[in-house]
Amino acid sequence: MTTVLAPVAGAAVRLAAVPDPVFAEGMVGPGAAIDPARSPGSAVSPIDGKIVKLHPHAYVVVGDDGRGVLVHLGINTVQLRGQGFELLVAEGDRVTAGQPVVAWDPGVIEATGRSPVCLVVALDAIAASVTELVQGPVQPGDELFRWG
Amino acid sequence: MPERKVIVKSEVGLHARPAATFVQTAAKAPIEVTLAKADGEPVNAKSILSVLALDVRQGEVIVIRAEGEGSDQLLDDLAAIAAAP
Repeated sequence: MTTVLAPVAGAAVRLAAVPDPVFAEGMVGPGAAIDPARSPGSAVSPIDGKIVKLHPHAYVVVGDDGRGVLVHLGINTVQLRGQGFELLVAEGDRVTAGQPVVAWDPGVIEATGRSPVCLVVALDAIAASVTELVQGPVQPGDELFRWG
Repeated sequence: MPERKVIVKSEVGLHARPAATFVQTAAKAPIEVTLAKADGEPVNAKSILSVLALDVRQGEVIVIRAEGEGSDQLLDDLAAIAAAP
């Protein structure tokens, strides 16, 4: 069982509600989303593990059990080519759940015309294995969903 | 083993929609499917974690391999996904 933490502050919403069909339909995997507070902050690691992939707008953390969680900051934010994001760790680093990984400002992302919604996805998980734990206000490090 | 070499044309590389579509298509097949960069180690093409970690960028060459019943059709389908702009 993996407890996946909220990477950012904001309001937890269903993945199905995000404005990107690839994520909304669960094509990448099951999980949850957070409509982030529009203020500068850090996105933290959702689990203990290793940063196997680190982009400015997205990162993948893999736990010792081999389970991977994707955190994607905003929709179509790959097009920003890192603008508005600052990396706080390096690819290959070990991180603990709740440790800051990327500094960003959702308000700056929104000003580019993109949704800053934060997507948190259990990779290679079956939909039925994920239980959402919260809807509404969350702080970074709060429990977001359980991956059984 | 049957294989296809493809240049990835999507602007975002094999991420987001192309990656999800690629993995979903591979995962439906009852045979083993691997994906590798030109000279790299193959990874499980049915794992979104493995494909995202492989981090294929636009313009990179990938090699898709599968052997068994339906492998030719499957490889054609996967090659088309990877080569789509």
